[in-house]
Formats: sequence, C-alpha cells, structure tokens
Amino acid sequence: MRSKQTAIGAALAALAVLCALFAASASAAPAWKFETKSLEGTEVILGGAYESALTVPGLTTKCENFLYKLTIENSAGTGKGSLTEMPLYNCTTNSSACTVSKISAEKLPYASHLATFGTTNYIVIEGVKVPILYAGEECVLGGTLVTVTGSAGGSIDNTAETATFNSSTLAASKTELKAIGQKIEWSGLFPTEAFQWHREQALSVS
Amino acid sequence: MILALVVAALLFCLAGCGGGSSDPADSTSSTETSAAGDGAASADAGKGSAGTQEKAGADSKQASTEKGSANGAQPTSGGSNGSGSEGQKHGPRIAQPKGAPEQGPTPAEIANATVANMSLESPAIVASAGSPGRLAATYTCDGAGSWPAFHWGGVPPGTAELVLYAMNVQPVEEKLFVDWAVAGLSPSLTDIEAGKLPKGAIVGSNGFGKQGYEICPSGGGEIYMFAIYALPQKLSPPKGFDGREFRKEVLDVSGNVGLLPAVYERG
Repeated sequence: MRSKQTAIGAALAALAVLCALFAASASAAPAWKFETKSLEGTEVILGGAYESALTVPGLTTKCENFLYKLTIENSAGTGKGSLTEMPLYNCTTNSSACTVSKISAEKLPYASHLATFGTTNYIVIEGVKVPILYAGEECVLGGTLVTVTGSAGGSIDNTAETATFNSSTLAASKTELKAIGQKIEWSGLFPTEAFQWHREQALSVS
Repeated sequence: MILALVVAALLFCLAGCGGGSSDPADSTSSTETSAAGDGAASADAGKGSAGTQEKAGADSKQASTEKGSANGAQPTSGGSNGSGSEGQKHGPRIAQPKGAPEQGPTPAEIANATVANMSLESPAIVASAGSPGRLAATYTCDGAGSWPAFHWGGVPPGTAELVLYAMNVQPVEEKLFVDWAVAGLSPSLTDIEAGKLPKGAIVGSNGFGKQGYEICPSGGGEIYMFAIYALPQKLSPPKGFDGREFRKEVLDVSGNVGLLPAVYERG
C-alpha cells in the first residue's frame, strides 16, 4: 500500500515538474526566429511602410514613404531591437491649408523589444520622438511645432511577415503616442523582412 | 491507473498550464514552406551560425547591406534590394522614395516656431480612450452657445499677453475659420470660468462676423481646436479685431501655445 502511495506521489511530483516546465516554456518571452531557429547574433530588418498615417485630432499627416531600419537580436531569450533609421518622405496632411514644413525622427536609435499580450506577439518601440513643424497661414497648426512622443506596439503577423500598428495594437500593448497632451493615432503596416544574413528566410516571432 | 492519471494531467497541462499559449509561430509553417523553395541560396547560408553566415555571405550580402540603408533609400521593401520582381516570396513592394528624406526643424526654425508645449484643459472637454474630448451641445449654437471653463499651464516667463482662440481644424473655403478670439488676457491668469471673461479681455470678430464665441457647424459635426497663445510682447488689438487676420500677428510673435482639440457631433 505504502509503495503504491509513494509511486503515486512520485508520479504527481514528476507531473508537477513537467507542468511547470511546460508553463514556463509557453510563457517565455518571444524571440526572433528565422526558419523556426532562434536568431543568433544580429540581423537587420529594413523596409518601408505599406501605409502609414499619424493623426493629431482632425489633422492627419501621411508620408508617401516611411522607411525604417531595425537591427534585431535575441538577448537572454527575448527579442530586442534597435531602430536606427526612420527617414520619412513626401509628408502631407489631409488639410488643404496645412503643409508639413519639417518632420523627422529624433533621438534615434529607438530601443525596441518583443512582448506577448494575450496570445499575440508585439514589437514595442520605445522613446519615439517625432517633431512636426506645420506651415500655412490658414492652417490651424500653421507655424506650430508639434512633437509626437511615446512608445508604440505593433502586432506581429508571422504569416504575412508584417508588423501592424494602429490604435488597437497600441492599446493592447499598453503603449501610447502623445502630442499636444493628447493620445494620438498612428497607423502603419510594415514588412518584417531580413536584409542582411537571413535574406529570403522566413522571419517569425514566437 | 497512475498512467491514466499522468496522461490526463498532461492533457490538462497542455490545455491550460500554458495560459492559452497559442503560439503565433505556428502560423509560420506555410511561410517556412514557401521560403524553402524561394531564396535557396540565402536559406543555405542561414543554416550555420551567425558567424558562419557572415563568412559565407559577407561578400555579396555586405554589399547589399551597405546599399540597404533606410536613409540611403536604395532598397524597396522585400529584401530584393529594389528589384521588385514578381515571384519572390515576400510581400508587396514599396515604391522607391523620390527626392530627399524630410528633415527635422533646425534650431533656428524651432526658435521661430510656435511650440506646442503649454497645457490647455477644460473640465467640459475630456479625452477618453484615445479619442479627443467631446464638446457638449450646450457650448454650441445648438445650446446656450457659451464657452466652457478653461485652465492652462506652462506659460513661459516673460509672457506679456495671452490670447485664446477656438478654430475649426479644417479650413472653410481654404481659409482658417475662427470661432472665437480673445486677446488682452493677463499672463498671470491660469483659467477662465465658463461663460465669463476677465477684465481687460478684448473680444475679436469670428468667422460668422460676430464679436464673440460661436461654435456652429454647418453639417453634422466638426473638430475644433482651442488654443492659448503666450505672446512675449503685447499686441493689444482693438475691440472687434479680425480674429483670422490677428492670428497671423500672433503666430509672428508667439513662442508657445497650448492646444485642446474637441469634437462636436450633432444628435
């Protein structure tokens, strides 16, 4: 009888260990992977937004081209990144009276990391600072320098190899971008594609 | 029996212990399959360690990387270094940027700009869930038509006069539409009460040709911008000044502004 109890106890203990190991593995921080293998060393992701728009209430600023260069690595099992370049091209507004006089990403590089919220993996970009100087005598923000600051989380789609940023992904990743004391909207769809040692390899986050 | 218990518990673990761990990477299987067929050379290079890959691919890929500066704007997206040809595994191509990238404001431009670094708030206009605050009908021509209370902060030292504006965010017939313009406010002021103006306030004419406040969209709604400008020198316009014209003077001298957007929607 005692040996049977001991056996059951041992089995349960082993089970608890297995369960704990499984749970730990499942909740591990997400990492960058190429062809399902964890990235070793660094890689450069480079691309342009398929679309991107930033809205200070009522006034949307769009850039025809919105490129980015992100150096990624896995550090202690967690995907990290450093956004080193983010040039913007041909930026306009949705107001006939307003033009974008000056705009650029400042204080680069922006640190980034991967994080899981719910069942979705996100890339969180921190320390964003984008000053925008609007022009136009008849523009409500003419001659005004508005600075967008904060952090932004975009959801990773492994199949499409994209990161999507919008108000839902910012909220889900507990990030926010602010300007003029308000939360502002930013939408963007970016490819997440390696450009250096892993070109043409499937990049995933898990 | 023990085996059954273990199996049942393991199943439980798989279902629940992971905290709903649906792995997003699962969805990569199709991508991986397609990747195997396409960039085979790259895939082969990728089999080694990062160091190995570096040796194997350094010559050809480093060149690509050097071209692949986002600022240099050489590549289109797609890892194709701009070829944009069909049949590659990756997604849509991005058009090659034309011209030079946008530049940030220079220190001289910042010095000349009106910097939106003051705060402007109203208890009647509170943003929620990332949306701009809403203006109640009582503060429009659909209600009492008077202004809400405002308070502001961050007035820079040396300010000589404060000027308060309400404007449509979108121009009307290509022109800025001013709904309210009040000059002559003391720099020591930090708020105004709803429907009241302090002594010394100078009220200008708005886009409706009225000396005073009027928020009255022509359609179902509008987005408005309230603004408090801090002027380093007194402009002291005459009573009934043209709000739209006067704002040009304000922008010429103003160094700082607090902005508060508000949405009004009828019904």
